[in-house]
Amino acid sequence: MLEVHDVTKKFKNGKGIFNVSFSVKKGEVFGFLGPNGSGKSTTIRHIMGFMKPDNGYIKVNDLDTWKSQGKVQKYIGYLPGEIAFLEGMTGKGFLDFIARMQGLDDLSKQKQLIERLRLDVNTPIRKMSKGMKQKVGIVAALMHNPEVIILDEPTSGLDPLMQRLFIELMLEEKAKGKTILLSSHSMEEVEKTCDRAAIIKNGKIVTIKDIHELQSMQRKLFEVTFQNSADADAFTKSKLDIVFHQKNVVRVAIQGNFDEFLAETSKYPVRNIDVFTQNLEEIFINYYEGER
Amino acid sequence: MNFPLYKQMMKIQMKSILNYAIGSAFYMILMVWIYPSIAVNTKSLNEFVKVMPESLLKAFGFENGFGSFESFISGEYYGVILTIILTIFCVILPTQLVAKLVDQGSMAYLLSTPITRGKVVFTQACVFFTGIFLIMLITTISGFVGYALFLNEEDSFHALKFIQLNIAALLLFFAVGGISFLVSCISNDEKKSLGISGAIAFGFFSLDMIGKISEKVEWLRHFTIYSLFSPSDIVSGDANLVLSFSLLGLIGILTIAIGILFFQKRDLPL
Repeated sequence: MLEVHDVTKKFKNGKGIFNVSFSVKKGEVFGFLGPNGSGKSTTIRHIMGFMKPDNGYIKVNDLDTWKSQGKVQKYIGYLPGEIAFLEGMTGKGFLDFIARMQGLDDLSKQKQLIERLRLDVNTPIRKMSKGMKQKVGIVAALMHNPEVIILDEPTSGLDPLMQRLFIELMLEEKAKGKTILLSSHSMEEVEKTCDRAAIIKNGKIVTIKDIHELQSMQRKLFEVTFQNSADADAFTKSKLDIVFHQKNVVRVAIQGNFDEFLAETSKYPVRNIDVFTQNLEEIFINYYEGER
Repeated sequence: MNFPLYKQMMKIQMKSILNYAIGSAFYMILMVWIYPSIAVNTKSLNEFVKVMPESLLKAFGFENGFGSFESFISGEYYGVILTIILTIFCVILPTQLVAKLVDQGSMAYLLSTPITRGKVVFTQACVFFTGIFLIMLITTISGFVGYALFLNEEDSFHALKFIQLNIAALLLFFAVGGISFLVSCISNDEKKSLGISGAIAFGFFSLDMIGKISEKVEWLRHFTIYSLFSPSDIVSGDANLVLSFSLLGLIGILTIAIGILFFQKRDLPL
C-alpha cells in the first residue's frame, strides 16, 4: 500500500536521508522511530510529495507521490508534525474548508470525530492550546476516510487521556483495514499501536523489526533501593549490568533478562523499584553503538 | 482554479484589499473636490508651473499643467502617490499568498488535499489579480462619482483618457506584482521574499524617478518597467498605449507563469 524504495535526498549541509526503503502493507500500523533530526520528517515530506527524491521513489496505492501530485492525496490522510493552519479561522471553519478542498460532501465522520475528541470547534484557532490544535489536525487527517494515514508525531501535546483515545482511534482505523505510518521519538507510543517499526538514525534505516522483537531488544533502567547497603554491595557482584551504585541504591540496565533480574533482587529485602524512562538512543544503545 | 481556495483566500485578504481601495477612493474624491478651486486659478498656476525647473515637473508628472481634470489628477495622484501605495501592495500581497504559507507551513495543508501545486498557486495568482483589479476599479469609479458630485459641465473631463490612465496603472501593477509573485514562489522565507521583491520594485521605481529628474541619466529609464507607465503622456495623448499595455501585460503573465512552473518543480520545506 505504501512503498518507500531506496529514497536518497542529500541536502547542502551533508544531512539528509540515504537509501531509505520500507513498505507498509494494507491493514498494518508501521512505526517510524528516531531521535529528533534523524530524518523522520524528511522521509514523510517525500511521502507527501513535498520534496523530490534525488534517487528512488515512493508509491502510495501504486501511484508515485512526486509525479501524481493532486491525485495520490485522495488516498492519504496527513497530520503534520508542526501544525500551521490558515489565519483567522475557527476550528470548524478550517475543517469545513479542508473538506471542501478534499471534495468531501459527507461530513458524518468529521462530526463523529469532533464528538469523540471532545473538541470545541467554534474556538478561533489562534486561541487554541497545542492539544486542541492537535485534535483539529487529527480530525482533518481522518475525516475523509483515507486508506493511508500518515502521522508525524501524533500524540505530542495530548494529555494521557487523549493519548489513550488516540490509540483507540488508530486501532479502529487499523481494524477497518487502513494502512498507518506513525513517526515518533518515543518507544512507548509506538509499542502500543504498531505491528512493526523502523529505527532511523542520521538519515539511515538502522533496523526494521517486528514490535515484539524490538521490545525484547529494549534496554530498560531500573533503580532498586535496598533495605541495607550491604545487600546492595552483594547485588552488584551479580552478572547484571550495573550502571550506578551509591550506598543502598543501585541502577541496573536490563535487556530482556528480566528473569535474572527478578531472581537476583528477590534475594534481598527491597524498599523500592523505579523504572526510568529513557530517550531512544539510550533504549537502543546497542544498535546505535554498532553504528558508530 | 480551485474555487473553495479562492473564496477562502479572498476572505482572508479582502480586508487589506478594501483598505487600499477605500483609501485610494477617498484620496481621489478629495482631489476632485479641490479641483474646481484650483481650476479657477489655472492661469496663475500654469504661470507658476512655467517657472519651475522642467526636470522637477517631469518627475512629479506636472508637465501638462492643470488645464484639465485628467492632467491635474495624473500629476497630483497617479504620478507618485498611487504608484507608491500600490507598489507596496504589489510587494506585500504576492508574498503573503505563497511565500508566507510556505514559511509558516500552512501550505502543507493545502497540498495534502487532492489539488495540484499548479492549481494552488494559480488560484493564489487569481486572488492577487482580483485584488489589484478591485482597487483600480474602485479608484476609477470614485473618479466618476467625484466628477458627478463636484465638477460642472464646463470643467473639462475626458472619460476615455481617464479610463486609459486606470488601465495603464492596473497593468503596471500587474507586472510589478507578477515579479513579486515569481520571487514569492521561489522563496522559503517570507521576510527574504518581501525584501527581494521590495528591493526590485522600489529599485525600478527609483530608476524611473531619477531618470525623469535629470536628463543626463535619462537612459536609466530604459531599465525600468515604470517608464512604461507615464500618466502625463497618456493624458496628453503622446503615449504609445498598444506597446506599453502589451509589454506590461506580457511581463505580468510571464513572471506569474514562470513562478508557477518553479513552484511545481521545487522542494518545499513543509
